Amino acid sequence: MKPRRGWDILRLRLRSLGRRNRVEQDLDTELRFHLDRQMEENLAAGMRPGEARLAALRKLGGVTQIQEECRDMRRTDNIETLWRDLRYALRMLRKAPGFTVVVVLTLALAIGANSAIFSVIDGVLLRPLPYPEANRIVRVFFHSATYPTFPLNPFDFRDFRARNRSFESLAGYAHADLQLSGTGQPERFTGFAVTAGFFHTLGLHPARGREFTANDEIPGNDQQVILSDRLWRHRFAAEPNIVGRKITLDARPFTVAGVMPPGTEHPGNQYNGIAHGETVDLWWPFAFRGDPTQRGSHFLEAIGRLKRGVTAAQAQAEVNALIAQLAREHPGALDGWQALAIPLYQEIVGPSERLLLVLLGAVGLVLLIACANAASLLLARATARQREIAVRTALGASRPRLVRQMLTESLLVAFLGGALGTAIAVVGVRGLVALLPAGFPRADTIHVNAAVFAFTLLVALATGVLFGLAPALQAARTDVQDTLRGSGRGAGVNRGHLRLRSALVVGEVGLACLLLIGAGLMLRSFVNLLRADPGFRPEHLLTARVSLPYATYKAMDAPRFWTRLCASLNSGAGIRAAGVGTDLPWTGYDDNIGGLNIEGTKPPSGQDFHARYHVASPGYFYAAGIPLIRGRFFTPADDMKAPLALIVNQSMARRYWPNEDALGRRVAIDDHPKEQEWMTIVGIVGDVKDKPDSPTPEMALWWPIEQSPVGVNNNMAVVMRGSSDPALLGNALRQAVRQLDPTLAVANVRPMDDIADANVSTPRFALFLVALFAGLALTLAAIGIYGVISYAVSQRTHEFGLRMALGAQAGDVRRLVLRQGVKLALPGVALGIVGALALGRVLSSLLYEVSAADPLTFTAVPVAAIAVAALACYLPARRATVVDPANALRSE
Amino acid sequence: MSKPSDLIKGTLDLLILRTIALEPKHGWAIAKRIEQVSQDVLQVTQGALYPALHRLEQQGWIRAAWRKTETGREAKFYELTKAGRGQLEKELAQWERLSRAVGLVIVQ
Repeated sequence: MKPRRGWDILRLRLRSLGRRNRVEQDLDTELRFHLDRQMEENLAAGMRPGEARLAALRKLGGVTQIQEECRDMRRTDNIETLWRDLRYALRMLRKAPGFTVVVVLTLALAIGANSAIFSVIDGVLLRPLPYPEANRIVRVFFHSATYPTFPLNPFDFRDFRARNRSFESLAGYAHADLQLSGTGQPERFTGFAVTAGFFHTLGLHPARGREFTANDEIPGNDQQVILSDRLWRHRFAAEPNIVGRKITLDARPFTVAGVMPPGTEHPGNQYNGIAHGETVDLWWPFAFRGDPTQRGSHFLEAIGRLKRGVTAAQAQAEVNALIAQLAREHPGALDGWQALAIPLYQEIVGPSERLLLVLLGAVGLVLLIACANAASLLLARATARQREIAVRTALGASRPRLVRQMLTESLLVAFLGGALGTAIAVVGVRGLVALLPAGFPRADTIHVNAAVFAFTLLVALATGVLFGLAPALQAARTDVQDTLRGSGRGAGVNRGHLRLRSALVVGEVGLACLLLIGAGLMLRSFVNLLRADPGFRPEHLLTARVSLPYATYKAMDAPRFWTRLCASLNSGAGIRAAGVGTDLPWTGYDDNIGGLNIEGTKPPSGQDFHARYHVASPGYFYAAGIPLIRGRFFTPADDMKAPLALIVNQSMARRYWPNEDALGRRVAIDDHPKEQEWMTIVGIVGDVKDKPDSPTPEMALWWPIEQSPVGVNNNMAVVMRGSSDPALLGNALRQAVRQLDPTLAVANVRPMDDIADANVSTPRFALFLVALFAGLALTLAAIGIYGVISYAVSQRTHEFGLRMALGAQAGDVRRLVLRQGVKLALPGVALGIVGALALGRVLSSLLYEVSAADPLTFTAVPVAAIAVAALACYLPARRATVVDPANALRSE
Repeated sequence: MSKPSDLIKGTLDLLILRTIALEPKHGWAIAKRIEQVSQDVLQVTQGALYPALHRLEQQGWIRAAWRKTETGREAKFYELTKAGRGQLEKELAQWERLSRAVGLVIVQ
């Protein structure tokens, strides 16, 4: 019965609404009928016709009022009133175009900025990862006092996989690019060697063919490959029978086992060059080679899918128990290691979460300031509209009715702002994505979508209520009599307005100061970052990678190739220096060697001697611009037959030979080396940090190519220093490589400037946005101050006239106005400083060598803010001084 | 115009429902009928009648139709719906409870 009745009522209301004219006509006829009958009765009682009519009308009461009440009863009122209010609001907004444009633009900028940042947050943080039940996927690392996250040893991994009970499946993968030749230009593709069930762990399935099984992990069975959709389409013309075909990779025949569908996203890796999103093109089986009892080398990254109901912490505890078990089976091999299981989501978006939330906070502050400004402008307008409101009150408009009307107006403004803001967001998001730092996680999932539209709508609604409510309530309190009597400056009301507006401006200045201080800190941090000596010279430097297939380059072929390539490059025109090395500065994590034996010392207990290790050709340091501090660089004489030579960086020299000269000291890898296995330090070079914002440089050492104890290096980075545009060197490199071996690909050709630039792109991105928002905030606050001071000046015209009539100079009056403005700014600035100090902790992780309470920033920003406040008062102050005393006094 | 108190408003609804319970009536007739039956004690403000009728109609308790009167003119006749009858009974019961309570207080 109940819902049925609800439905009936709704239907009747809808009918009343839909047939409004009809219903109104009916009411008319009905009332006329009533009047006629009453008149007939009156006539019958002996009244004269005119009298009878008047009496009947009197008895019925006001017809208009009855009609209005009937309309109320039908409750169609809401929608009609809304419509009427909207039309009225539009008319009012059209009548004050200046006000409308300023408020709508202000809101549009603020809402647009919010929507743009929200779309980034939606795409990066809120959207689930592109894997089914992604919350069950975790990354598994080793962890020690020295290494927060470290890859696994393959045999350790295999034991974990076999023995664990926490994971539905556990897979390992290692970055290992492959060179495709045979069809067209040789090209190097991003590849990963993956263990059985890698895709199964992610919840993905090949579109064609199959994924690798345990059988493919056996050495000899691993010449198989799964292609990405993109590679399949571009290099194999989407050949439908590709599965089972043989292709040539690294000069060896590989059988195509499958093709992954589009949208196969890489879950991220930390070592040997980081791949992003859909950039991976090849997957091939990870084969477990070598001696399972040797567990010192760590290069396999692990990812697992937890069983239902198992938490990451439980899985971590289990792997730790397995480590203890393995440590008993292989004494010494796992000393100092612990396991770490980190949810994949956290691993992917964790580093950018803080930055995005800071940006959201900043842009939210801008919105608050815009609201305060809009409220202040509305208040100013309410003052101008006092007469109109008083008239409406006198004509019977109730207070709730007036508040509703005013709110309709502010909501309309907010929605106009929101609509324009959406347009700004659409453009802004495109700009933002283009600005995003290289390798920002999930950048390709950032779009303006339904969620963003919903967010914008909600923000616009909240904005409209937020900035409209106070002015509406104030306006509805207008004193009718006072206003209508013509003493239109009902001083009490206006002072209330001014107080509220002043409070708003103080808040605005405070928020703007907060943002400015944030921007100032980030600017200082960024300048520090740019000013810091990178330890190498990125300008005029070209980098590239060349790798030699193990199938065709055996034993000493590779060193010979590198020597010939360097010789060829060094004799090339326009090339000032060239060299090859295993690693480039600032391109990611370099390999580590632990357990070094330093002649004459023992490591403190529980620690070992370790360093990043690299291999470099004689010209590498010179070409890269890494300075020689003492000793010498490698020479061609440091070959297989020569005594073993070693170059270390300053950090290593200082750390392991404190207060001593490291030059000439000896290091070995074995604990009990033969005499010829000792490596002698021949040179000390300058430090280069892992990343420009790394807190300290890591210890590092280099071996000559022909003396590398970690085997031949078939994969090298080339560095070439030219005298001008490094891009021109690319062709020289390709030509040199082609002359030596036409089947080789030259990959990752990039000027070092680009790499350096990409490394500061995150702080630059943050600085740019925060500075943009702070600038916007300051402008809005200045507009706010200007508005309040102009209004105050217009209110004090009489007073100023009087003062000037009594002999005050223009300068005195100007000072008076300026003082009023600064008085507004001061508490705001104080609030901003307090807020910034309180929020400093949030920012400190984004800062480089700047304290979150940096005195310079905390002095400069308040001074600048007060200066801007004074500037905003300048025009009103000038206006105050051009008051003609006679006029001012007469106007009262 | 002063607003009728809740008691009077509720009473007016009751009076209207009761008046048209026997046969459909138009607005003027309802007003007249209430005056007559109450021997002019209950002078319904005629103006208040129509909003009340509209409210009752929106509640779905009464329903209106255009019919010819005895003089041949078109008038809007109101009649009770089924829900309206239920409502009338409820309001009558409520009224009786109220008047008995008031009566008790007064007699004491």
